[in-house]
Amino acid sequence: MSKKIFLFPFLVFSLILFIFFYLLLIERDPSDIPSNLIDKSIPQFKSKSLIKDSEYVSQENFKNKITLVNFFASWCKPCRDEHKYIQLLANNKNIQVIGINYKDNRKKATGWLNEVGNPYLYIATDKRGSIAIDWGVYGIPETFIVNSQGIIKYRHVGPITKKIYKKINFILNETK
Amino acid sequence: MMIKYFNKFKLISFIFIIFFSSFSINILVSVEPDEVLQNQKQELRAREISKNIRCMVCQNQSIDESNASLARDLRILIRDKIKEGKSNTEIYKFLTDRYGDFILLKPALKYETLALWFLPFIFLILGIFVIYQHNKKSNKFK
Repeated sequence: MSKKIFLFPFLVFSLILFIFFYLLLIERDPSDIPSNLIDKSIPQFKSKSLIKDSEYVSQENFKNKITLVNFFASWCKPCRDEHKYIQLLANNKNIQVIGINYKDNRKKATGWLNEVGNPYLYIATDKRGSIAIDWGVYGIPETFIVNSQGIIKYRHVGPITKKIYKKINFILNETK
Repeated sequence: MMIKYFNKFKLISFIFIIFFSSFSINILVSVEPDEVLQNQKQELRAREISKNIRCMVCQNQSIDESNASLARDLRILIRDKIKEGKSNTEIYKFLTDRYGDFILLKPALKYETLALWFLPFIFLILGIFVIYQHNKKSNKFK
């Protein structure tokens, strides 16, 4: 009986060790925190358009279409890295891409878009970062998939890589 | 007898050192002068809340200690909410609605976190039990 008791801590320790090694070996990013907004409606917002100062961009622009929302800035290097994938996604006829320009300077942002190309149908400006807080954004670039009912289905933190691009396409095919 | 007593004393002091060293004193503060509220009572409340809110960028610091721009935004946001007359619970809810429970440095005591909160105590009791069993056995051989 007492011998079995001594075996017990050893077994627990092995189990913990196994779990730790498993978590180390599987491919995962511990800094990638699941969004609290998944399966919830998009936050209400309204801001001046980056392209036309007289126009506004708001949740009205989502109009029953599957929408990709991308938080970006001209000062953000990874945003440049993911730009080609945003462009590819913008070519998809089934979806619309809305950009939210985060804490940026209008001149610099439009200059950057002129240089690399503008994949966005609408661009909202978030000068003080308050829209980003409402969306639970903590590190740009961040990308959200919103279904046609205005429900957030997916969020990716960080630049879109080839792998993430494939994943996004897969989710877009599933989204209605 | 003397040696035995001394060892006991050593063991207890060792446990005490380990126990108290886990309460590290925090002297880091990143609140900038322009953020500070005029009303001291409100400012103290803001500091108290900020200490419990995780900086999502650095992840192991509170927004009270972090220099990240998002941490600054959130510190100002908390102060604005306090000025608007929002309660602490309302402010915490505002933040967890957007960033999830992860933004709280101390996980909330919920059904999903029961194991997180109580497993350590269960393991402690188990450990004491195992040591007790072991001692009882070794005493027999003496």
